[in-house]
Amino acid sequence: MFPLVYSLWLSFTDVNLLRTTGPALELGGLRIPLYRWIGAKNYTQVLWDPIYWDSLWRTLYFVGAFVAEATLVGLGMALVLNERFPGRPLMRSLLLVPWSLSRIVVGLLWIGILDFEFGALNGLLLRSGLVNGAIAFFKDGWSALNILVSVYMWNQAPFVTLLFLAGMQSIPEDHYAAAEVDGAGYWGRLWYVTLPALRPIIFLVLVLATVNGFLMLDLIYILTMGGPSYDTTTVSWHGFKTTFTFFKFGPGTAILYTLTALCLLLAFIYHRLILARFEPDA
Amino acid sequence: MTTIDRRTFLGAAGLSAAAAVLGEGPFRTAGADKPINFSGWVFKPDTVKDYVDFYNKKHGGQVKYEAVPWATYHPTMETRAMAGEVVDVMYCNSANRERWVDNGLIRALDDLPGMDELKKKIAPASLDSIKSKDGSKTVALPYFNSLFILIYNEPMLQQAGIKAPAKSWDELMEHSAKLKRDKISDTPYLPNWNNSGSGTMPQFLSDCFSEGANVFDAKNRLVVDQEPGAAKAMERWQKAYKDGLVNPEVLTKTSSTDTHRLFWTGRYAYHTNHSYYLKTIAGEPENSKLAPKKAKMAMYPGNGTTHMFTEFYTLNSKTKNLEDAWKFMKFLGGNLNGDWHVQRQWCLIAGLDNPYPEMYDHPEVIQSYDRWVDLKLLREQYKKGKTIAAFKEPWYSEYDSKAIAIVHNIIRGASTVPKGLKELVALQRSVA
Repeated sequence: MFPLVYSLWLSFTDVNLLRTTGPALELGGLRIPLYRWIGAKNYTQVLWDPIYWDSLWRTLYFVGAFVAEATLVGLGMALVLNERFPGRPLMRSLLLVPWSLSRIVVGLLWIGILDFEFGALNGLLLRSGLVNGAIAFFKDGWSALNILVSVYMWNQAPFVTLLFLAGMQSIPEDHYAAAEVDGAGYWGRLWYVTLPALRPIIFLVLVLATVNGFLMLDLIYILTMGGPSYDTTTVSWHGFKTTFTFFKFGPGTAILYTLTALCLLLAFIYHRLILARFEPDA
Repeated sequence: MTTIDRRTFLGAAGLSAAAAVLGEGPFRTAGADKPINFSGWVFKPDTVKDYVDFYNKKHGGQVKYEAVPWATYHPTMETRAMAGEVVDVMYCNSANRERWVDNGLIRALDDLPGMDELKKKIAPASLDSIKSKDGSKTVALPYFNSLFILIYNEPMLQQAGIKAPAKSWDELMEHSAKLKRDKISDTPYLPNWNNSGSGTMPQFLSDCFSEGANVFDAKNRLVVDQEPGAAKAMERWQKAYKDGLVNPEVLTKTSSTDTHRLFWTGRYAYHTNHSYYLKTIAGEPENSKLAPKKAKMAMYPGNGTTHMFTEFYTLNSKTKNLEDAWKFMKFLGGNLNGDWHVQRQWCLIAGLDNPYPEMYDHPEVIQSYDRWVDLKLLREQYKKGKTIAAFKEPWYSEYDSKAIAIVHNIIRGASTVPKGLKELVALQRSVA
């Protein structure tokens, strides 16, 4: 709890790590500087910055696209892996590989696939004669942003699948049997049995994917560094740069706390939309 | 006769073993009483460890070395200082050093023994770099020096019938256009336009300088909107990008290291980057198709002037062991061992230069450089190296980082050259 409260406090102060004189907390023999209180100045400074607003719209797009892709792909894979077929245990194990990789490794792996100069995909396309010249996937900001979405989805969708699979395993077979008696086909069972029963999981997936989407930083660091220009700069990257490159810890934490506020707001909206009228089986 | 019981024997043996493990016991050279903490960002940490071991053995030091990842190095050092930890000797990069001076994290070195002699040995332009903003104090010793150079792929130019590398920017553009037209290279020119602090903006400074433009005035205010040379450089960049002469993904490369590796492929004719990267391009056949020495250095086009900078070793103002910390720092950034031990290691292993011209008379250095560069030409290029004083301003790192997006917009044609240059000036005024 203390780091959370302290970082929130910092967002209202004029932080300079190297000037620690002034009021401080003594905690277990450690002197924790409180810095000078400047009210909401950091927040107003952030909200007047056009780079922040550009980053915010880009972040909302990124999060929206990522949540949609991860949820749909995760659900699709869970539906497949919930069926009985030869090799299912192996497929379930392999599924976890992208999720278990460090994001630094994920970034480097996808550079190896998509790079203009030595990317495997370009090599494949050129050799098969499908293109005349290599494709520069990161040349255009819009394309680079969508690649970030897809790579992150590739990394995170297995976890979503895992959650959905766990949810599907807990749906009683007699619900499906009853639906079949009522004449429901595959899609009918999915719509009237599976999805309603998965509501708490859907809520969990949406909240986790949204929070992860807002906070995603490492892939940007490896793949684009927020460029070209600001085209892949999200709020988390902007906050990171402000804090650790410009050493503006006050405004930096203020930027990142706006993300926290957004996450809380969206979690509340998801709750109202998905769980408000949900009544679990006794 | 004195007898020793089992308990006493075991206790003494345990203490001896602990002393041997912790302090190398009786084998340790007589040396400093207190350890010196030394931190640097991660770059060839094994090399650093080797020379720290050498120092501890030969000069009786007790230096403890720790490498911190580059991305979090400076914040980590500041956070440790905030928590009261004293790291006696620290690396520091140019963009952060003045803040460390202003906030009293590091101390001036002028009153320390031997500093005056060292200052006499340092090349004048680099001497300015190790001084504080007002020029009154020396606040660092050099870790390494670098400047931007032009590298060319000799076999590719020969294949195209180009007899000599470009001497002017116009010529470089003509050569690149011909190489593309003749289908010898898809993207003949590889500028260092990457998205990191060591990419686009140092390249911007170099190209502006080479066109005779002043980037900052005497008060460190950005003046590129009044400099025809800066506009000329940007128009050239725009044209190179528009005509497809450069790798379009160079704008999203995340480091100068990543960028220079592209040149290893042998698919480019020209490359502009920090001088030390030629070491791997022309000197490491196991990595580069252009080694040995198929890639060469030419004088920078235009008037030959290029951006030069220094990175530093700094001394913590709260060190409790000033004498030993300073001795170690002289070993690192000076010539304590009498043979430029550390400076020489960096030259030999990584091609990192330093601002002590006399070191380049050392036969081992001459022999080593001969494997990957024309040392005489490199030294000539250093005479044309130009430093800036603006890096000592507290706003510089924010300006330098945010400017990349504006320059990338100019390159991509999303902004016109005059508008982009005005935006750069407005950015500098807004952060200053």
